[in-house]
Amino acid sequence: MAPRTESPWARFRAEFAESRLAMAGLALLVVILALGILAPVISPQNPYDLAQLDVMDSRLAPGEKSADGRTYWLGTDDQGRDMLSGIFYGLRISLGVGVASTVFALAIGLVFGLVAAYFGGWVDTIIMRVVDIQLSFPAILIALILLAVLGQGVDKIVIALVTVQWAYYARTVRSSALVERQKEYVEAARVLALGQARIVFRHLLPNCLPPLIVVATVQVAHAIALEATLSFLGLGLPITEPSLGLLISNGFQYLLSGKYWISFYPGVALLLTIMAINLVADQLRDILNPRLRK
Amino acid sequence: MLRFLRLALAALAVLALPAATLAKEREVSIGLQAAITSMDPHYHNLSPNNSMMLHMFEPLIKRDANQKLVPGLATSWKAVDDLTWEFKLRKNVRFHDGSPFTADDVVFTLKRVPNVPNSPSSFATFTKPIVDVKVVDPHTIVFKTATAHVLLPSDLASVMIVSKLHGEKASTEDYNSGKAAIGTGPYKFAEYVPNQRVVLKANYGYWGGEEPWDKVTFKILTNAAARVAALLSGDVQMIETVPTADIGKLSSDKRFSLVDKVSNRVIYVHLNQRSDTAAPFITGKDGKPLAKNPLKDPRVRKALSIAINRDAIADRVMEKRAVPAGQLLPDFFFGTSKKLKPAKYDPEGAKKLLAEAGYPSGFAMTIHGTNNRYINDDKVAQAIAQFYSRIGIDAKVETMPASVYFTRATKGDFSYMQLGWGTESGEQGSSLRSLLATYDAAKGMGVTNRARYSNPELDALITQAMSTIDDKKREGLIQKAAEIAMADTALIPIHYEVSTWATARGFAYQARTDQYTLATGLKPAK
Repeated sequence: MAPRTESPWARFRAEFAESRLAMAGLALLVVILALGILAPVISPQNPYDLAQLDVMDSRLAPGEKSADGRTYWLGTDDQGRDMLSGIFYGLRISLGVGVASTVFALAIGLVFGLVAAYFGGWVDTIIMRVVDIQLSFPAILIALILLAVLGQGVDKIVIALVTVQWAYYARTVRSSALVERQKEYVEAARVLALGQARIVFRHLLPNCLPPLIVVATVQVAHAIALEATLSFLGLGLPITEPSLGLLISNGFQYLLSGKYWISFYPGVALLLTIMAINLVADQLRDILNPRLRK
Repeated sequence: MLRFLRLALAALAVLALPAATLAKEREVSIGLQAAITSMDPHYHNLSPNNSMMLHMFEPLIKRDANQKLVPGLATSWKAVDDLTWEFKLRKNVRFHDGSPFTADDVVFTLKRVPNVPNSPSSFATFTKPIVDVKVVDPHTIVFKTATAHVLLPSDLASVMIVSKLHGEKASTEDYNSGKAAIGTGPYKFAEYVPNQRVVLKANYGYWGGEEPWDKVTFKILTNAAARVAALLSGDVQMIETVPTADIGKLSSDKRFSLVDKVSNRVIYVHLNQRSDTAAPFITGKDGKPLAKNPLKDPRVRKALSIAINRDAIADRVMEKRAVPAGQLLPDFFFGTSKKLKPAKYDPEGAKKLLAEAGYPSGFAMTIHGTNNRYINDDKVAQAIAQFYSRIGIDAKVETMPASVYFTRATKGDFSYMQLGWGTESGEQGSSLRSLLATYDAAKGMGVTNRARYSNPELDALITQAMSTIDDKKREGLIQKAAEIAMADTALIPIHYEVSTWATARGFAYQARTDQYTLATGLKPAK
């Protein structure tokens, strides 16, 4: 059989494209990312600029017009905030918080996990016990306590999310690094008397990455859901700068009185975002997990 | 034989049915917003408790639905001179156990009030001005005060009279268990389960006539959605404090009716004037501190007042459950001035005033308010931030739970403090004294003046009014004081809360300004 000539990247793309669902998820994710990134350009209103809101336009139904003739396609919330703009900006915050917290948590978890696996012994014991303790508490509980202490702000939310998430990565990295450590290429590197840092980061790390990528993608979705939960509970972001969770929370009390749109559309946006990420993550897992490979 | 039995059963059922439904019709359940912390009428001075106590106990003087003073256990009262008050007591009144009510019970009550152990909020403040009590005859009693105390009748309207016979050896626990909870009121104690329910039974021998209900059950439903759900399911026949979001739905549903009434609670803004130089959370737009505290300038305060569109807040944020305010009480209360109207919305005028005061491009300020204390409090704060941003002020909003907020506001941590004030006495003099007189805790002046606003002219008028027994003269002085305070924008009144009750069809409730929910106000609708 002739060797395949395509590059690994091309193979990866081909495998990813095998699932239509995953491609749909990816397309959706690209659209959502674009909406989030371009929010300041495409939004009819800056929902965080109080001067642009008019309380006289509050709780208008989708499609109604404002006093100065603009149409609110998805209606307005109780402060007269355009829901469409609110959702675009909310996506921006959700995705930003999700990605930022994942990147930081990943970096921290990676270092601790590799160190624990490579050195073993008491270093491993200490790090993994801390991880165990952390994972034994519900994430939402730790985040709530942290935010109560830290106060409001996007940076505070990211800190809280990093704190509750790094342990997942540390544990994942450690388990795959433990397996890799036993392999011959690491032995070879040791025999060559390479520096420990070099062995850990240049040899072990790249081989531990695939499972980590899968966990990270799933965790982005988790982080977004957690941020929405915290905002829904009124913690985290200032009430004048609502993210999706806070928008849902604002409309929650109107659900029974028929003003569904204040909660409904941000809820849909949140649902689509998390769904798109999970579809992509599932396919990544299938490709990167050798055991699931056909 | 069988046929006979069947017939007899049918006859019984026919006979029993109307009796059962009749009995049921004379029972009613009411959903309350807050827990009753005790059944001891002198233990905890808290609105939900005070409201509940009015069923079993009565004060010498009662307040009607508009908080006007009306005879209770006293039929009449008058100031003999500046320091002496004479009260005539109602005759032929009996406690729930049948023992007669006399002046001795009043004397006992006044003795008990300051000596209730562990009281979290004492009623002693109402009885403290009385330095001597003289019983002239079993139905005439004379009170002496050390200084002229014009609010004595109003104070006594907050003191429930208890039975000397049952109260002498009774502790708060004995009231909670019902053993000592024996008063003269229209309802008798039946059951008290803290945080869950209070059950009352009719007092058929009540001097004021029989009530329409044999049994009243108050259910504590602190969650607003649960309260509405209980009404919708028929579990209760009336609820208090209907959440604004549900008002639309309930008012369009023919099975229910809503009553509302403007309350004695004003939502207002105190502007921190403690320091001449520094104002917390106020900076220039560049983030640098300002040279002086802008809130000391009455032009800035006025600008911050006229920048607020009160009609928009009442209409859109409060969904019509608020009335724009121009002073501290709606203008049918004692001591209010008809001349004081809500400030007119004038953003251009506000900008001009800010420019005159030396802030042509405004400044940056954080708005601080509660998010769980008053109706839609956090939404009102956000709406006001909108209005301020239109006159060039960079407004940020920070809201927090009342437990955290009040401590920090009392310390003076904030510049813009959005608060509420309910005037239990029903006269504006007492609210002016608490909120705007120069702070002096020892004299009881300005005790809730968190802004530390100070105006000697206003102080003089308040002091004079508080020692003027003559109602007409006193009212004139209070009105003048209110006009001076509002002209100086001593604080910014926003609106009076409107309280809303919802009842099932077939019931009618007499809405009250003091936000009390009383079974005595609930009648079968005609």
